[in-house]
Amino acid sequence: MTKLPKCEDKKLGLLIDLDTCVGCHGCVVSCKEWNSSGDEKQLSDINSHQKDPVGTFLNRVHSYERENSCTNEAETFYFPRSCLHCEDAPCVTVCPTGASYKREEDGIVLVNEDDCMGCGLCAWACPYGARELDLVSGVMKKCTLCVDRIYSEELPPEDRVPVCVKSCPTGARAFGDFNDPNSDVSKKVKERGGVDLMPEMQTKPVNKYLLPRIKSKDSVSSVGSVVEEETDATGLLGWVDRALSKF
Amino acid sequence: MHPAPSIILFTVLSGFGFGLISIIGLLQFLNQISTVDIVIFSVIGLFFSIIGLISSFFHLANKKNAIKSMSQWQTSWLSREAISSIFCLSIVVGNIGWVFVQNRYFNEVGIILFLLSLFTIFTTSMIYAQLKTVPSWNNMLTPALFTFTALAGGSILLLDYASLVLLLIFAVLQVLFWYIADQSFIYKETSVGTALGFSKNEDIRAFDVAHTNRNYLLNEMVYKVARKHAIKIRYISFFAAFVLPMLLILMFPSNFSVSVFVIGIHFVGIYFSRWLFFAEAKHSVSFYYN
Repeated sequence: MTKLPKCEDKKLGLLIDLDTCVGCHGCVVSCKEWNSSGDEKQLSDINSHQKDPVGTFLNRVHSYERENSCTNEAETFYFPRSCLHCEDAPCVTVCPTGASYKREEDGIVLVNEDDCMGCGLCAWACPYGARELDLVSGVMKKCTLCVDRIYSEELPPEDRVPVCVKSCPTGARAFGDFNDPNSDVSKKVKERGGVDLMPEMQTKPVNKYLLPRIKSKDSVSSVGSVVEEETDATGLLGWVDRALSKF
Repeated sequence: MHPAPSIILFTVLSGFGFGLISIIGLLQFLNQISTVDIVIFSVIGLFFSIIGLISSFFHLANKKNAIKSMSQWQTSWLSREAISSIFCLSIVVGNIGWVFVQNRYFNEVGIILFLLSLFTIFTTSMIYAQLKTVPSWNNMLTPALFTFTALAGGSILLLDYASLVLLLIFAVLQVLFWYIADQSFIYKETSVGTALGFSKNEDIRAFDVAHTNRNYLLNEMVYKVARKHAIKIRYISFFAAFVLPMLLILMFPSNFSVSVFVIGIHFVGIYFSRWLFFAEAKHSVSFYYN
């Protein structure tokens, strides 16, 4: 049913640290690999090895620059974008066939592909562009939070996390229960101030983001100042500076 | 948003069909229509509604599950639209049969048809008006515009000067809709800043996109139109949907063949209006591509 459940037990999701992400697209590649392997799973590509390839992805990494008001310099950061498993998921309630649903036991938003008619309305309802229609199978695709990994009995316990978390080389992605105040992700959100994306859309995302730390004026020296002559050095450095300046 | 021809035809044709049915229903309730006219115009209304619904069917990427769209009426406007339209059209068919065989009609059926077809038009508009992600649609002007577009179109065949009133209301709503959609306050809350978790006015710019080619998201929701032509298309739409029909009805009242001609011109205008409705609408995901 497309009625949203309460999810009082668990709220599973991802915590993504934009301060740590280096934009390597490792999560994108591993996500695509995991979610298109097997008999029933398909994330199709069209013209994959030809001109104008088009494909379906559950996760994409954008690159941005922002003006640091303190140093007046541009700082770059990377931004992985995927389903936020919202508490008030608008993509679920708009679904006419009941294919979209939010699980009561852990809050994961999923699509039952056997019911999807490919109208695309859920993709329109999502503010974040987290859903993509698979152009070959004609059904909607989205992040499953690797529901087939996290509850797997076959995988070793350390692998029972979403594959994007497992594959991230810098540890920028964490997986956990945001309903549990003692979970690692909840503690980090509290400590570093995790934020919601587009809070004005009132979707109450479960996934949280940690924003890039703002560099202070002292932490960055512009390229120009490095080669500038250091004139106010004192002590031993000052002596070296004065001594070398004579030649 | 992507102005898919299947969706535009769906909203234009089924809107006209249900608009016509609601006018028939109203006249039937008020005893102002002959049994012959009920049959003829109901068949026309039925024809356009069904062509519209078939057109929407072609928008589906997985057509075999279309029947399941009737199941989620508790939360989904699209589901309510599917149920309401099928229910309304069934009553239209029943009404045609009864009137055709018995050569008389029940006024009560008229009011049911009037309300049910209005509700169907409303549900169609709410598919778009419910989307917070598209601020220019997310207000009550959208249902008002859809409803009066349908009523004005539907009234051209059956009403003389009364249709002028409906056309006028439609024209006012249309201009108001375009005016509001142009205002910057429509997007006042969302920016690339809020999309990334920063404050509204954070100075952020994309320096690289997330993919090497176009994809579903860009095709569907970051549809770029030649905005330089949007104003011209608005003029064409307004002239064809409102000004010309208005003049022709004033010059040739109660002339059926002129009415049919007027409907044709009106359709062209409404088609352009709906094309703009989609093409000009900006989805919040476009902020990620700033």
